[in-house]
Amino acid sequence: MNVESRREGENLVLITDGRVDGTNATDFQDAMKQAIQASDTAVVLDFENLTYISSAGLRVVLLVAKDLQRQGAKFAACSLSSTVKEVFVISGFDKIIPVHDTQEAAIGSFG
Amino acid sequence: MAQPFKILVVDDEPDLEPLMLQRMRRHIRAGEYDFVFAHNGIEALERLQQEDDIDMVISDINMPQMDGLTLLEQIPKVDPNIRSVIISAYGDMKNIRTAMNRGAFDFVTKPLDFDDLRITIERTVSHLVEWRDALSSRDKLVVLQNELDVASKMQQSILPTLFPAGPDYRYFASMEPARNVGGDFYDTLRLDEGRIGLAIADVSGKGVPAALFMMSSRTQLKGAAIGNHYPGAVLREVNQLLCQDNDTMMFVTLVYVVYDPASGEITFANGGHNQPLIRHTDGSSTLLPLTGGIALGVAPDIDYDQETVTLAPGEALVLYTDGVTEAMNSADEEFGLERLCEVLTATSSDDPREVNQAIFDGVRAFAGGTPQSDDITCLTLCRSRGS
Repeated sequence: MNVESRREGENLVLITDGRVDGTNATDFQDAMKQAIQASDTAVVLDFENLTYISSAGLRVVLLVAKDLQRQGAKFAACSLSSTVKEVFVISGFDKIIPVHDTQEAAIGSFG
Repeated sequence: MAQPFKILVVDDEPDLEPLMLQRMRRHIRAGEYDFVFAHNGIEALERLQQEDDIDMVISDINMPQMDGLTLLEQIPKVDPNIRSVIISAYGDMKNIRTAMNRGAFDFVTKPLDFDDLRITIERTVSHLVEWRDALSSRDKLVVLQNELDVASKMQQSILPTLFPAGPDYRYFASMEPARNVGGDFYDTLRLDEGRIGLAIADVSGKGVPAALFMMSSRTQLKGAAIGNHYPGAVLREVNQLLCQDNDTMMFVTLVYVVYDPASGEITFANGGHNQPLIRHTDGSSTLLPLTGGIALGVAPDIDYDQETVTLAPGEALVLYTDGVTEAMNSADEEFGLERLCEVLTATSSDDPREVNQAIFDGVRAFAGGTPQSDDITCLTLCRSRGS
């Protein structure tokens, strides 16, 4: 698992690759916390290269979403692989975290 | 301040004692080291037995009564955590090798170079500090592991083990816990008018937090389900309770089913859990539809929809957790839904215990030697063929 952060104009794009499960969920959380600044107003979680996410990983995504909500930032996830998308759909988290097919669509949704 | 580091010096030369005290006086005054003396191996052993706070032994090799090499062998019997440094004649490789092989931590040579001795003592001290930290971490770990084992046993002990059959239905549930304390659970409830309530759930993460959240989820579910025939309303209530003060964003995925034996109807609501399967009489299986619910504990004030389907005579309802579908083999492949359906096709039994067993056997055969990383849980309800 690795989290790479990029700034595209006003937007912070966080690209996660590999697997996120119980063994590295804390690392995942730390990496996210480190990448996101209190001044960020729009964050995209790009999951194109995320191959697997367990419930422990989903919990971290929810925590990040909650923090961003608290600081008034817009956020969305994008480019989910079919396995990860399935996890989002079954758990119902696609109703809490906006999911888009591409990074452009996610950024576009911020208006 | 910490206790001074206590060093036992063993040498038959009477000159060494005043010399050592003189050369090490600054360390002694600073409270870093405390020196005690013995003049042969026997005397040294007696001191070690009397004083259990000696950390280190510095010993000469050639001494009357008991020599240093024999003493080296005896020290671990008194206390295996004492470290020994041997004083040997310069170039006496044979004795140095013997001493090292007998467990000496280091050696210094005669004539004593006190700067070198000081470094050797410092090195021994820092090694011992690390060694003791490691020992204490290990002890703490053992305590924690024991507590986890107790938690795991408590978790399993609350799962129902009696599954009273009805005139035309039977149900059975079992869980194969992973080594870590996991968060799966199931529950079965007798509701009024002959209905039964069946639940399967999976709490996010593992370990003690998951166990605590699981206990709380199960209690809330039981409370909400008694006297309520509407699974959607039950999930709404449980979700509402779990969302209170849930800063840690733990969540539980849960399917709750109410079965009415009079009509064969299954009414269910799914809160973010794997879709249950229905095995038909021709051996094929279909997934129950998702009812659009979100995992519980995350978003308050949401409604949970429910749906109703009829379980035909001879059909089976299979609830399971992702420990089944995400079980891995050595090639990093998942067991998956397709294999689960194949297992159900292959077993025509209408005994829910046998259906469960077939699933567990199928998963075990698939995983081979790959260790189980998640709880594996199944709950099966079979409606008799003749009804």
